[in-house]
Amino acid sequence: MSDGQDHDLLAAEYVLGALEGEERREAERRLAVDPMFARSVAAWQQRLTPLASHAAPMSPPTDLWQRIEARIAPAATADIVPLRRRVRFWQGTTAGALAIAASLAAFIVLRQPPPPRVAVLSPLVGGAPVLMAQAETNDRLVVRPTTAIAVPTDKDLELWALPQGETRPRSLGVLPPSGRQLTAQLAPNTQLLVSLEPKGGSPTGQPTGPVLYGGWLTAAESPRG
Amino acid sequence: MSATAQIPQADDTEALVHRCAGGDQAAFRQLYDRWGSRLYGIALRITRQAVLAADATQEAFVQIWQQAHRFDPDRGGPEAWLIGIVRYRALDIVRRHAREVPGYEPEDRADDAPDALTRLVSTAEGAALHRCMDQLGQDRRQLVVMAFVDGLSHSELAERLKVPLGTVKSWIRRSLMSLRECLAA
Repeated sequence: MSDGQDHDLLAAEYVLGALEGEERREAERRLAVDPMFARSVAAWQQRLTPLASHAAPMSPPTDLWQRIEARIAPAATADIVPLRRRVRFWQGTTAGALAIAASLAAFIVLRQPPPPRVAVLSPLVGGAPVLMAQAETNDRLVVRPTTAIAVPTDKDLELWALPQGETRPRSLGVLPPSGRQLTAQLAPNTQLLVSLEPKGGSPTGQPTGPVLYGGWLTAAESPRG
Repeated sequence: MSATAQIPQADDTEALVHRCAGGDQAAFRQLYDRWGSRLYGIALRITRQAVLAADATQEAFVQIWQQAHRFDPDRGGPEAWLIGIVRYRALDIVRRHAREVPGYEPEDRADDAPDALTRLVSTAEGAALHRCMDQLGQDRRQLVVMAFVDGLSHSELAERLKVPLGTVKSWIRRSLMSLRECLAA
């Protein structure tokens, strides 16, 4: 069906959207591994996209932006905001409590000098976040799973840092599914990636298996904000 | 040009995508403001259910944010990239849900909606595609639109047109070959 000379037509059928079942999965597999096929897909996408004009623009549900924002926002904000509310609560009670509030606020500020950076790592193919990473100013990076991650017994996950504008990620080592703390200096705009590698990590120093999850390190909301 | 005022300009969109790649959330919001209704409309046409269309659009924007750095202008414009993402997310959803709305008939309005035509021919590429689509003839043209715009699969098309699966597949292949030839000319 999809021999060499027909790869461009398979790409066309894939872009058209008519493929289903095994044929569709086959096209997706090729897209991931075959650069020539990927180029064909991109070219067909460019050719056929004007057809999308047949679908009239429609107003999305009003809460859609909030749903999207919740998915991309640094999840650590959720931990920090309640602390701020606690501060406000204490401030609103008695004068004596003010001192506690002040020390609590000082504690927050001292404990987290400038805001830490966080990354939410989600499957690159789309889906719910799988890992959370927090980078602190002392170069400490804490990565923890937000859900159970199954790794084949003969494989390991490996964590990579890819600063913006660079093309070769730097290995931050093997990542146990239970998470890990490590020390790493990370540029301001850095993407964290997780790939599936042979046991013990990539033998080449670059990802050799599929890159499963990724996310950008962005500044969390400042507690003093 | 008032007819195209609603269509986001490709240059601006490309700049916004690049800013998203740098983690600029304000640019992402602008991208949503410009493209949200367009992408949602595309997803709705494929999924036919508001809830599923919202899910597809949400997944698409999350993917756009996360993969903005992978957008490669050498491979095509930002419009094709954005629309491609929402279409695949919507198709994922309908192929998974296997069309839970039996008996749904896509509207046969594809070729005659005047504003659709205005949008289609508002770019050089769109005008060329329109010309080549015309050469396919009404039936084949409708087939291509039902697949691309309504997201109907080979077997759904066969069922709807009451022709064997193999026939639909060969019609589509011939239509695509003819489009490729016409667009290259």
